[in-house]
Amino acid sequence: MASALPAIDELDRLTDLSTDLAHRATGRGAYLFWRAQVRRVARAVVKSGNVEEVATSTASGQGLQVVTEEGRTALGSRDDFSSGPATELLSATIEAATSAGSLGVGPGSLAAMEPVVARAVPDAVGDFDRVDLAAACARLCELEREIAAAAPGVTLTLSFQTDLDAWRIVRSDGGDVTFAMPRCVLRVSASSSAGARHTVGASVADPSPRLLEDAATIATFLRRARAAARLAADLPDAPSHPAGSFPLVIDYALAKGLAHEAFGHASEADGFRSSILARGGRFRAGDVVGAPHVSIVDEPVAGDHAWQPFSATGVRRERVTIVDRGRLRDPLTDPWSAGAAGARMTGADRAESFRSAPLPRMTNIRIEVDDPLPARGEFEDYGPEEVRELIRSAGVLRRHPYVVFLSGYSGGQVNPATGDFVFNCKSIYVLSDKGAVLHKPAIFSGSMFGALHAIREGFGPLRLDALGTCGKWGQNVPSSGGSHYFLALEPDESVRLGGR
Amino acid sequence: MDLDRFRRALATTRADGCGIARWSVFASEIRRITLGTQDRETGSPHAPLTITDGLTARYRLVWDDGKVSRGAIERRALESEPEAALAAARAAAYLDPDATDVLGPAAFPEVATHDPDAAAIAGGAVEPFAPRLAAIRERVLRRDLRTWSGSMHAAVGFSRVLTSEGLDVSGAGTSAGWSASMDGEFGMGHAARRLEGFADFEARLDRLVDFVLALRAPAPARGAGVVPVLWHPDVVDDYVLTALLHNLEGAQVAHGTGAFRRSQFGTGAPVLREDLVLRNDPLLPMAAGSYRYTQEGLPSRACTYIDRGRLLTPVLDLKYARRLGLAPTPAPAAADTVFLEGPRAIPYDAALARAAGGALVLNVLGIHTQDLTSGDFSLSAPQTLAIGPRGIDGRLRGTISGNLFELLRSDALELVSFPGEHVPGLLVSCRLDPA
Repeated sequence: MASALPAIDELDRLTDLSTDLAHRATGRGAYLFWRAQVRRVARAVVKSGNVEEVATSTASGQGLQVVTEEGRTALGSRDDFSSGPATELLSATIEAATSAGSLGVGPGSLAAMEPVVARAVPDAVGDFDRVDLAAACARLCELEREIAAAAPGVTLTLSFQTDLDAWRIVRSDGGDVTFAMPRCVLRVSASSSAGARHTVGASVADPSPRLLEDAATIATFLRRARAAARLAADLPDAPSHPAGSFPLVIDYALAKGLAHEAFGHASEADGFRSSILARGGRFRAGDVVGAPHVSIVDEPVAGDHAWQPFSATGVRRERVTIVDRGRLRDPLTDPWSAGAAGARMTGADRAESFRSAPLPRMTNIRIEVDDPLPARGEFEDYGPEEVRELIRSAGVLRRHPYVVFLSGYSGGQVNPATGDFVFNCKSIYVLSDKGAVLHKPAIFSGSMFGALHAIREGFGPLRLDALGTCGKWGQNVPSSGGSHYFLALEPDESVRLGGR
Repeated sequence: MDLDRFRRALATTRADGCGIARWSVFASEIRRITLGTQDRETGSPHAPLTITDGLTARYRLVWDDGKVSRGAIERRALESEPEAALAAARAAAYLDPDATDVLGPAAFPEVATHDPDAAAIAGGAVEPFAPRLAAIRERVLRRDLRTWSGSMHAAVGFSRVLTSEGLDVSGAGTSAGWSASMDGEFGMGHAARRLEGFADFEARLDRLVDFVLALRAPAPARGAGVVPVLWHPDVVDDYVLTALLHNLEGAQVAHGTGAFRRSQFGTGAPVLREDLVLRNDPLLPMAAGSYRYTQEGLPSRACTYIDRGRLLTPVLDLKYARRLGLAPTPAPAAADTVFLEGPRAIPYDAALARAAGGALVLNVLGIHTQDLTSGDFSLSAPQTLAIGPRGIDGRLRGTISGNLFELLRSDALELVSFPGEHVPGLLVSCRLDPA
């Protein structure tokens, strides 16, 4: 595996190139955002005990986003750091921006920014120099055997991916930040073998490739993997749940999905000309959108799967309280959208690659509830019977004798213009005094406002490691977040389980 | 595209005591221009005019000791430091006996994949975007739409497949397309090797606007139940074709993780209704999904995956073809070369008449959250039009649910021809739960 630290050093060696390009841009009356990226990904996949794939990829290059004196922008990118082609690309990009008026491209408004000169390279980056993919494959095979022993009749696929994503962003005003985002994920996908097949997944993440050697992380992974395998085996025989509005309990991964889909995307300020959380292009700060004990916070969390310390425009990323005890407070903004949104700049823009135009995006987003009720132990200690006992002891079953427990997050989607959101779970359990009965998963959908008003109680400490991939305008970036172990929601007509 | 240095490196690299016995490389160099519009703002900083140049080589190496390395390297490594890249590839080598086949020379079919006008746009002559943007803006204004978002693109590329066994094939291609969504509700678009003709573009745009405006009026309240539901071609493309092709993937079949078992292929026992066919034809001129060769150097050809409801072949690259003891098959690259066929498709107006009391689903949310293996679906359908005795009867929001494979085996299933669409719509009987 290619060495990781020289990749950072390579970004450091590009000072002359970036300085030259910035000067040339200034000479032509243009402002330059120069982005250089070096990304190294390695992946190993084991299926049914055999190594099926080991692949590595490297990608590096530079993106030149220019702003003309008239305020028009264009973006050019190239997958190398040669100065000659970069100079030609800069020229072509400036010309494209200058002539874009004929296509109806209007000027944008760029907020004033303080130039930041800083660096954030976590210690875990050094571990990427010592990734042994052969050893990783052997370890995956060991883990597969352990999981398979607990769940016969289930086909398992394990994958391990390391991703070192390093950036340097230089601006015409002298801003210059370098940062590296190390991400490693261990995943399992369990498919039942008999009859109608169902597939259930589980994962753990860590910034270091040494996660395969970390006993605590592996113990958590094995608990999650065994649960996924048992669920895959049980789901084919489970009944479907009828559609409708029900009192619900959701786990922290689904709560992350709720925050992400129901509020996060609609809070991204680039969409405020149509977002349901904006009026006349400005964020509806102060509007009541949820219960007074519920807040939604987005912030970069060190060591997190979606951590990004600086934005793709070289601005330090800040903590944002999107919903503060039921009221809208701050949106996710970037230098282009903050002014129009009537909001402070929070450095929320991210780009998938040097080829991409940055967009306001979430990082780690969570739902917090004031005064959560206790839930002792680890989250993985709670199966459906334990959740039933948890809510029974809190009086929820006295309030609602029939409660639907949605467990595990398998993705979601939103339309920020209409406020329609969906997400799906891995399983449904009906909790009552009779016990916990498994049902097949179903889509959970509704209106964002109904969902946030419906949250009644939170149980347990915050757990923020629900990870995923967020897609927007063709760009995929890592996402993460969570909430308290469990949230209880009152029934709301605008929030429905899909049924079958 | 100069691969000479890479070829020399492949011939001379020794790492960990091993040389490279056989190899296969797919290299592609692409220049692409895109222009986005976000909420009526064309070329905004979030959707700017974007020029992208890229060169990537995907390789598969078979070392002297039988181990295999797979990976991708980009321009810089390819042109300046391939030796280091190949040494790093050795560190990631693994044993996979089914992945060691490397193709030799073959006869490759001809198919038109390059349009000089699309190439000119990709080179910077973006003027053809202007009248299309103007047409969209005119509709938005004249028909009182609140907002629109979308994008236009053109790309020109050159690709080459080289192998150690003497295969060397290359060619140029273009792509061009547009997409637009109105009022944040529903979108349409088109992509092929060249820009859609202006008359066809305007007709598609007008159909889009008509659908979006039909979503403005609410439908009378409806109860839940199993009703006729007409799935728009976009829903069929995004969900039905995706689910079928996912389950036809060689890896899914080989590992027993998909809906179809190896034993079901070629046996004659139907898995879908017996008049259904799923096939791909990558030799259609100027289609987005057309090509002359796969990335492994397999000559392109038409292929039928499902015929008369019976499984004929999975979609197989060289590895899974060898694993399953079957012939490799070119894979679909885009929906416009994929054919879902069956009984004669009924016209859209006739389908509306047959679906009275049901609904037309234009779009669904949550496809990527579904379990494609089981075929169970539970999809939010916020852009749905109720169908009454006199046709479209206002907007519904709801959920559709059922099992895809049951629908594709049902006698109630009908294929529907939508104007201007290649992928058919489907008229099915499934559960609709209005919100």
